[in-house]
Amino acid sequence: MAAVLVYVTSADGVVDEVALQALALAGQLAGEGAVHALVIGDEAAAASLGPWGAAQVHLARHEALGSTAPDAAARILDDLAGRLGVGAVIGPGTDLGNTVIARAAARAGLPFAANCTSATPGHPMTVTRLRWGGSLLEEAAIHADRAMLTVAPHSVAARQTGGAAPVEAFTPELDAADLVVRAVERIPAARGGVSLADARVVVSGGRGVGSQAGFAPIEELAGLLGAAVGCSRAVTISGWRPHTDQVGQTGTKIAPELYIACGISGATQHLAGCKGAKKILAINKDPEAPIMSAADFVVIGDLHEVVPAISAEIRRVRGA
Amino acid sequence: MDSGTLASGVLFLAVWLVFVGLFARRMIYLGRLVRHGRETARLDDVPVRLGREVTRVLGQSKLFLRPVPGVMHLLIFWGFLVLLPTILMSWLGAVSPRWTIPWLSEQGWFALMADLFALGVLAGVAIAFAIRLGQRPVRFVGSRLQQAYNILLFEAAISITLFVWHGSRVALGLNEYPAAWSPISTALAGLLPAAPATEVIERASVWIHALLILAFLLYIPYTKHLHTLVVAFNVFFERTRGRGRLEPLRFDDPDVPEDQIRFGMGTIQEMTWKQMVDGMTCTECGRCQDACPAFFTGKNLSPKLVIMGLRDQLYREGHKMLAAAAGHGTFEGTPLVPTAVADETVWDCVTCGACVRECPVGIEHIDHIVDLRRNLVMVQSRLPATGAAMLRDLERTSNPWGNSPTARVDWTAGLDIRVLEPGDAPPEVLFWVGCAPAFDERARIGAISTARLLKEAGVDFAILGPRESCTGDPARRMGDEYTFQALAKQNVETLGEAGVTRIVTTCPHCFNTLGNEYPDFGGRYEVVHHTQLLAELVREGRLSPAAGSESITYHDSCYLARHNDVRSEPRELVAAVGRPIEMARREERTFCCGAGGGHMWLEERAGQINEERARQATATGAQTLAVACPFCTVMLDDGMRSTGGGLAVKDVATLLVEAVERGREHPADSLARVP
Amino acid sequence: MKVLVCIKSVPAVAGRITLTADARAVDTRHLGFTIGPHEECAVEQAVRLVEEHGGEAVVLTLGPAPALEQLRDAMALGIARAIHLVTDGEDWDSQSTVEAIVEAVRADEAASGRFDLVLLGNEAADSGGYQTAVRLGRSLGRPTVTGIKGLTLVDGVVRCEQEVPGGRDVYALPLPAVVAVLEGLNVPRFPSVPGRLRAKSKPVAVSTPTRPAQRLELLRLAVPEGRSKQAVVLGRGPDAAPAVVAVLNDLGVL
Repeated sequence: MAAVLVYVTSADGVVDEVALQALALAGQLAGEGAVHALVIGDEAAAASLGPWGAAQVHLARHEALGSTAPDAAARILDDLAGRLGVGAVIGPGTDLGNTVIARAAARAGLPFAANCTSATPGHPMTVTRLRWGGSLLEEAAIHADRAMLTVAPHSVAARQTGGAAPVEAFTPELDAADLVVRAVERIPAARGGVSLADARVVVSGGRGVGSQAGFAPIEELAGLLGAAVGCSRAVTISGWRPHTDQVGQTGTKIAPELYIACGISGATQHLAGCKGAKKILAINKDPEAPIMSAADFVVIGDLHEVVPAISAEIRRVRGA
Repeated sequence: MDSGTLASGVLFLAVWLVFVGLFARRMIYLGRLVRHGRETARLDDVPVRLGREVTRVLGQSKLFLRPVPGVMHLLIFWGFLVLLPTILMSWLGAVSPRWTIPWLSEQGWFALMADLFALGVLAGVAIAFAIRLGQRPVRFVGSRLQQAYNILLFEAAISITLFVWHGSRVALGLNEYPAAWSPISTALAGLLPAAPATEVIERASVWIHALLILAFLLYIPYTKHLHTLVVAFNVFFERTRGRGRLEPLRFDDPDVPEDQIRFGMGTIQEMTWKQMVDGMTCTECGRCQDACPAFFTGKNLSPKLVIMGLRDQLYREGHKMLAAAAGHGTFEGTPLVPTAVADETVWDCVTCGACVRECPVGIEHIDHIVDLRRNLVMVQSRLPATGAAMLRDLERTSNPWGNSPTARVDWTAGLDIRVLEPGDAPPEVLFWVGCAPAFDERARIGAISTARLLKEAGVDFAILGPRESCTGDPARRMGDEYTFQALAKQNVETLGEAGVTRIVTTCPHCFNTLGNEYPDFGGRYEVVHHTQLLAELVREGRLSPAAGSESITYHDSCYLARHNDVRSEPRELVAAVGRPIEMARREERTFCCGAGGGHMWLEERAGQINEERARQATATGAQTLAVACPFCTVMLDDGMRSTGGGLAVKDVATLLVEAVERGREHPADSLARVP
Repeated sequence: MKVLVCIKSVPAVAGRITLTADARAVDTRHLGFTIGPHEECAVEQAVRLVEEHGGEAVVLTLGPAPALEQLRDAMALGIARAIHLVTDGEDWDSQSTVEAIVEAVRADEAASGRFDLVLLGNEAADSGGYQTAVRLGRSLGRPTVTGIKGLTLVDGVVRCEQEVPGGRDVYALPLPAVVAVLEGLNVPRFPSVPGRLRAKSKPVAVSTPTRPAQRLELLRLAVPEGRSKQAVVLGRGPDAAPAVVAVLNDLGVL
């Protein structure tokens, strides 16, 4: 396999976890070939990549890249990939990663496989990628000289290989056309509380909660655990909670330590959003509900009785 | 004719023409409104309809559901019927003391009847006042009481002036028959002063009597007393059979221009003539309100107030509507919801039919409420969010919970039930499972029990499995007629291709829709409820239950017992398996479990209907609550748990399985017990 | 204002997905069809834009004949007409799809003017490719932004909001532009029945593009194995609370 180029995203010096996973996938694919990494603007992040499998880090610096500009990133990536003559470009399967790789693929007229869980070199390269948010797997062949792919979050483990990687800074060529699509303003988040995407623990309610007021015991439990409150699509469609609380294929995809699903049946699109959780506890009246077979722990019962009982037990244990 | 008579005659005729003219004008207006109403088909079963005129109108049968008011009304109703000729007599008599109806006025028996029935009217009025002022029933809350008092006062005054007039005629010797024939009038005559005062009294009383009658006549079409003139009409056109059948809307009639398609009731423009007459017939008696489970548990819905509200809006805007139809001006009806009926009120209804059952004058409240819902849902998309979510799931996945259709066979694991595949020969009877038993863990127990019993009895049956779609009942009751018809057509096609002719189902809603409503879409099948089929099997000895000692109270499902008259077969089964104890509200007066009208999927506000029914069951002291419906199973089980009732809630089929097992262990005890 | 919204008809999978015998497609024998939640919001947005700014909205799909139902559903909400690029139901990769869409767009624009805005869902519910909007924008030479949850049109510029950690980024693109939206952008309305009836007679322009060789070629599908471990039943009802708290403690989240 020829060299592989990885698009590494980061924020304020911290490399995105999924980008590290992309590097790991690149390592698997590259075999004998070298793994290159592209970092845009973030010098501290670029410096920290060595141990994670990058042989060479390319740091692009340009005055116009202060805010997110995905077309510019795509151009830089495409130009670099061409210069290095890589056989594959891999990005993280995040919102940013997917859009940048897609743009780079569009520029170069190449196919793009998003959210891959594995890749096998060959002519053509074959990948396994996610459909239906992860409820279905697709085996696909990429008919191109340069494969463009993103790695599905948390499907490949990031690996520390040790070693250092030299960082080569460069100033990429950019036109005004590349900078038309650029973030021009940042509206800071108003909400306090625990962010759904980042929370260690998420307590979620579904149709079984029954009403907006019915969420009170769930919020109580979440408060006791310092957890975020989530919900299923049935809840947002009923208007009981805002869409920002929705966990699912078209809501927020989460990967907490623990996901507590109360009164959620476990429709495909919901599981797509929470399957990243390390452990799932399901509380449901129906032992046959789909979520029960996706869970690690199960309580069969009415959430309106079980959840307050858990809260009470937590208080008792802590009080003691 | 002497000049006095002529003068009287001319004066009376003038007065009479004024009153009768105003009366006629009002009646013509009401008639025009009804003729302007949208159409509805009601001419089947004429013999039954005529029979009802006898039993319900003349016989006042429904009024006797409450005995004392029944007696009260019978006295007044029959009083006025018998006294009708005296109206003409008094009008003639106002012109001249010698003018009267030939022959009849000479019949002593008629004079006797007049006396007795006029007294009856007074007695009835007295009872009515006693009820209203003494007992003050709750069902009158919201009714216009002053109108009722006025009507009663009119009736009393008419009766009293009739007595005074007859009495004075007796005193003056003007009657052509022996005074003994009219004992009350004669007795009254004894109290009157001698002539000439009595002559004055005679003239005065007949004129007052006649004027009261004319005034009352005019009062009638402006008040709820209009029912006297329209009730025979309304009762005639009430549904005779298929009470659970709602009338379909037609969306695809090529002869109807798009803006004329009826999507339910949005304004008075879309009222059917029957709905208009329903409003005109309402006596504000409140029996419907008393029977309504939603009202009972503290919700806004009062069926009486719904009908009154719609009627009042019709009267308020009717003139403008007719004027526009005649080409004078335009008319934009005010939306009935929320002006006449609040949104919440429309959604409170569980379509249990208790109101329709109680109504003595043939009002069909469910039609009104569903038609209001049809407009809200299909035209305005204005409905509770949970209901909307259910309708969308129904449309996409053919079941109201959004589950995968292939999961419809999951409940059959381990039961070895035949799933009918395309091209298979049809079974003797198709077991229509329904969505609740397929997808709900408590509701499916009844289906499992039924399947086991059918197998035990050797019945040749099969299920459709993933090819079964929801019958559409929840969509139709919620007003989404469009989705209902799409599901109905789909099911009719599937059943037709499969060659199905006989269907058994555990769900009364499926039973009602498949049997009563699918014929409108070309689907004609013999549909039986599982209790009917199981009772038949027990009678034939194909199932041998052994009765236990468990005390069991049976809950009649609305869609079985009230809408479809299935009451005895479940009781046969309960009697065959245990000791039955009845609740007070049972059979046709059963109290809903609260799931109907789409309420399984709507958030419950205020008090809980299912908890109330659970309490009623607990009060019998029975150990077990037997049900025959998957929705009742879930609702009443929830109700038992939240009220701490303690009764086990089981489908009749499950109880039968237990009894059959008992029968196997103790063959000597297993005699099919048919009461 | 002329707006195009592109949708994809997908099976309404509920709890489980079963495959055809050759494992190359989802078994849709008992399934209804729908469009993804992102696309519902895109359709709603198109209708709102036309309500606010006047003009015309057009809905387009590349899909088999039954996908017409999804076009009618969109038209029932207020979209004036549809373009149906009919296929035989085989999977089309994004590049092939975009080529066909571009041809249809160019033809329509030549006939009745330029689309100010093309709206799409961020990714299709089934294939989840995350690239159709971007490719379309590139081929048409129009600025494209993805992952949008807020959209307003002011003076020939479309202002789009994208959620990022810590808040929202705002992009301001000159028209004509291409925008891929996420569920949460708006709350889609329900179709009224009069709307559905009217939609039955709204015009649908049909063409049958030829499927080119696939560059991202679907070989086969597979249902992922469930979590191989059996769930541990901690108990029934409120009595399970102590067992639950013990697990919380073990997981270190207490």
